[in-house]
Amino acid sequence: MLEACVFATILCGFLGIILKQNLVMKIISMDIMSTGVIAYYILIASRSGLFTPIVGNKENVGYADPVPQAVILTAIVIGFSIQALMLVGVMKLAKNNPTLEASAIEQNNTP
Amino acid sequence: MTNVTIAWLILPFLIGFVVYLVPKLDRILALGMALVSLAYAVQIFLLASPLNIQLLDSFGVSLIVDRLSSFFILTNALVTAAVVIYCWQTEKTAFFYMQIAMLHGSVNATFICADFISLYVALEVISIAAFLLIAYPRTDRSIWVGLRYLFISNVAMLFYLMGAILLYQAHHSFNYAGLRGSPTEAIALIFLGLLVKGGIFIPGLWLPLTHSESETPVSAMLSGVVVKAGVFPLLRCALLLEEIDPIVRLFGVCTALLGVGFAVLEKDTKRMLAFHTISQLGFVLAAPVVGGFYALTHGLVKSALFLIAGVLPSRNFKQLQHQPIDSKIWVVLVIASFSISGFPLLSGFGAKVLSSKNFLPWQIIGMNIAALGTAISFAKFIFLPRQKSILNRDEIVKQDEKKKIQSGFWWAMVILLGGLVGANIFYYQAYTLQNTIKPLITIILGWLAYFFIFKKLAIKLPRNFEKFDSLIGTMSLILILLFWMLWAQFQFST
Repeated sequence: MLEACVFATILCGFLGIILKQNLVMKIISMDIMSTGVIAYYILIASRSGLFTPIVGNKENVGYADPVPQAVILTAIVIGFSIQALMLVGVMKLAKNNPTLEASAIEQNNTP
Repeated sequence: MTNVTIAWLILPFLIGFVVYLVPKLDRILALGMALVSLAYAVQIFLLASPLNIQLLDSFGVSLIVDRLSSFFILTNALVTAAVVIYCWQTEKTAFFYMQIAMLHGSVNATFICADFISLYVALEVISIAAFLLIAYPRTDRSIWVGLRYLFISNVAMLFYLMGAILLYQAHHSFNYAGLRGSPTEAIALIFLGLLVKGGIFIPGLWLPLTHSESETPVSAMLSGVVVKAGVFPLLRCALLLEEIDPIVRLFGVCTALLGVGFAVLEKDTKRMLAFHTISQLGFVLAAPVVGGFYALTHGLVKSALFLIAGVLPSRNFKQLQHQPIDSKIWVVLVIASFSISGFPLLSGFGAKVLSSKNFLPWQIIGMNIAALGTAISFAKFIFLPRQKSILNRDEIVKQDEKKKIQSGFWWAMVILLGGLVGANIFYYQAYTLQNTIKPLITIILGWLAYFFIFKKLAIKLPRNFEKFDSLIGTMSLILILLFWMLWAQFQFST
């Protein structure tokens, strides 16, 4: 069930990238898609259990797998920085293309 | 050797930051960095056995350094050095050299890493550095082209990440070796990411616009080394897993034909070169065992050609035919074009022979057609009019100014074309009579076809596939295609 929700999120994001006209909306759709991917990592990490893998006094509990979480942390940071970079680019483009419609910008800027 | 490798890997990033702190040393440091890489690549080439490095514990970073990577690192070093020298006298700021250093470092990292997460990080750093380089002129067009590049590569990398976690689920490791026995959808997702990143087949059609609309040194860098960062992992996987090998080869042939088909009909110099990059990547993939050598020669020649295209008076072939070019430029142009068409004495010839020895029977026809197409498309460059004497004084003054800017250009040419001639030593066995005749026939046939058919032909191909939305859309289609191809492959092989 959760897995289906995660995939639905990814799919929604992907369709949003294609179907939305506005450039900012496209970037937000990409963010939704990456949220889905991140959630998928967390989901797979929790397959073996839900406890944080820190030494404590409880015994024999199922620990969550720390590796996917560590990996996705890197990916979150990278995704975040790329989005910041894209939004700066969009801000620059917005000066001459106030509507920010991707097709119009594309037409103006392809030879 | 482990410590040397790590120091070498970190050096470009350190230099990148130092350049920003000490802007006066920017060019010297960047050039020094390229030379260090060069020395390192030579050292690896001389190593007897591949070097496996495991950092931290079993979940840490794993690196493989072998002869295949040494070819790619060598390409990267030479192209970076040439680009830095080309930019020596231009007014580029330290920011530009910083990005060059970062790009160099991250591309190097892709050539030695052996697990999917290190690869992911390296590829994303490449995207960011390449975006900043493309958007360096700060015009609307350059920002849009850069944004489009960043967007497409980021979406591709999201698919790739999904594949990586599926792989982890199967093996509890991100190592390349985990591809064996992992679910089909994992391989399909990872491959989609790499295909897009490497500019291969239909999802790689983002490449022509990006490479042709960037500044000259940037497109040389992008076409020479950055696309190789996506191709290299594919080669590695094909060599690791024999089930994947035929699929990679098939993509190689399709890509070679697709790219060359566009290149033959293209009327713009830089776009033609960019389409031709796609087709050459196909050649690299079509024979994974010897792909390294081919990638080296292609990287050198393509960055040389992009630098030359930058100094030509016009980008349109029609105009160039009425506008004679300086005969010195013409000479280097012809050397580069001959090498890429596979003319003996230049290492493009050795690379073509070596690859064609490793083609499977079903690939030969396709690759020969692609080679013919290469000869046809470079006939456009070879038969450009040229002139020696300069008529009046105004033009002399103009020419002198131009020469001042161009002394860096000549040094860059010396490096790249010298590398092309020097690379012959890797495969000097190619020089037998039988091997020599075939490329000559291909070139002559190509020229004839150019004169009688393609010179008059004026077909404008639609650019619908290069639109942003269709690029993203094709990703999903290719994903389905890949999934079924892999599925069929695994069904029949087990």
